[in-house]
Amino acid sequence: MTLAMKGAVLLVAVFLIVKFGLPLITAPLPMSLIWLYLFLTTVGIVVYGTLSGESTEALLGPIFRFLSGEGLNGVAKSARLAVLVLVPLLVGWETYSDLAPGTQPPAENRTIHPAPPGEFVGLANPVPNTPENVMMGKGLFSAFCSPCHGVKFNGNGPASDGFNPPPANFVDPGTIAQLQESYLFWRIKKGGVGLNVEGHPWKSAMPRWEVELPDEAIWKIIMAEYAGSGQKPRTWE
Amino acid sequence: MAGTPSRRARLAVLAAAVVFWWGGTLLAQETAVVRVKLIQGEVPMDPLAPIWNTIPASEFPTSPQVHWQKRIGQVTVKSIKVRGVHNTKQIAFLLEYADPTQDPADAAALEFMVGDKKAHFAHGQPMAQVEGGPVNIWYWRNDTSGAADMNAQGFGTLKKQARQDVQAKGVWKDEKTKVRFKERKLNLRKDAKGELMKDPKTGDPLFDEETKVVEQDVTGVWRVVFTRALTTTDPNDAQFQPGTFPNIAFAVWDGKKLESGDLKESGSQKAVTSWWYFNAEPPTNYAIYFYGLIAVVVAAGVEYVIIQKVRKGKPA
Repeated sequence: MTLAMKGAVLLVAVFLIVKFGLPLITAPLPMSLIWLYLFLTTVGIVVYGTLSGESTEALLGPIFRFLSGEGLNGVAKSARLAVLVLVPLLVGWETYSDLAPGTQPPAENRTIHPAPPGEFVGLANPVPNTPENVMMGKGLFSAFCSPCHGVKFNGNGPASDGFNPPPANFVDPGTIAQLQESYLFWRIKKGGVGLNVEGHPWKSAMPRWEVELPDEAIWKIIMAEYAGSGQKPRTWE
Repeated sequence: MAGTPSRRARLAVLAAAVVFWWGGTLLAQETAVVRVKLIQGEVPMDPLAPIWNTIPASEFPTSPQVHWQKRIGQVTVKSIKVRGVHNTKQIAFLLEYADPTQDPADAAALEFMVGDKKAHFAHGQPMAQVEGGPVNIWYWRNDTSGAADMNAQGFGTLKKQARQDVQAKGVWKDEKTKVRFKERKLNLRKDAKGELMKDPKTGDPLFDEETKVVEQDVTGVWRVVFTRALTTTDPNDAQFQPGTFPNIAFAVWDGKKLESGDLKESGSQKAVTSWWYFNAEPPTNYAIYFYGLIAVVVAAGVEYVIIQKVRKGKPA
């Protein structure tokens, strides 16, 4: 395999990894970032390929021969023609796509668990974790929270369907299992409108429960949410 | 070879899978945005105008309102189909939803943010860490002609504007429609002997939840059209520009009178959605085709120069 072909394979591999591989473990990357990675890879290939006269010939020789068309015939000749026609068409399509009005709403980079205000950091649950209190918490949860968060604590309550974003699924290990009890206290007490700008408070359906529930009831609900969902609050230990 | 799919068949299956995946993705995205189609001529004020049948609908499930203390657990209207058209001057939205009874207090509303500040979908209620703006609400009620053009910025602040710019008209038809919604059932868990299972720690009965999307026939459909100019001179109004993605939210009230004399849904007891988007289709800008063509010509020219230099032994 020539150096030019190795470079082409590397570029394709990098594209496949950042476009389709990374989204399997993290959020999809924007095209601008993908282009940046491809650009950096190309720069690396060019720098590596032009370290010596020999490697420069190995890198650029096949490319120049392909461009000039010298000595090409059969499939290679057709491929050259196809590339020469496709490249300007792709440039034209990209230009059109960039200028054409978008059909999708703007991307929303909402932070699901934004930082809480300082006064809500590290608060300990003052209500003893007894079966009676958990039971009372489950009763409160059933009355106030389950219409949205569901009787199975899975965010699938009958009142959840119209809300975007949907109510949190506490059974999911990515929600309350990642949070301390004090964080939940803040979210329940102050509701969706208590979020900072990163949390997009204007979209949240979470009521400000401090208007209707005393703090003690909120702490009991928190115990019930952990007990009912089978999760444990995050601690510093 | 018998039993072995041919290469063509495998390719066909692969292509079908790609089309299905792509199509599915497009359909899923369509539901999040109301596509307000650009039309020639007047926007229809009539909810039964034939043009509405040519406009694709976006469907939004609803929830009972939960922010205000006076809540209800169930609402009549489970989802709303929304269509939109505009002619660069006027915009019209058609709301279509199943409601088995036509009642004087049946009502529907659209909500928009006013200005650049974000506003909470529940009447622009104040946010602790974000300076929010007001919302503009277009309200229609069956027993009142026209529409109310209102503003709110917090609970109890709803106020009719001095200048009314919105028109609305509703038509109820005694026709059958299908309503799709999520149905949830709780099934008590039983062991192999048919005995009810209990949580060993708490003694609570164990149960499983069964959720499925069901389709139900309902007789009775409301179609309500709201119209307004895309832009107005009233600073209290939401202003719309084609090509942008303003937020939109919906609310519906079933004004059926119960035996107690109360209305089934009124005031804060209503079906709502949170913010979604609409997009008024922009007029075709033919310049972008021209710019695309220029890009093709320039790219081809650069290709030509490079090839000529390579052929002459002077790489670019």
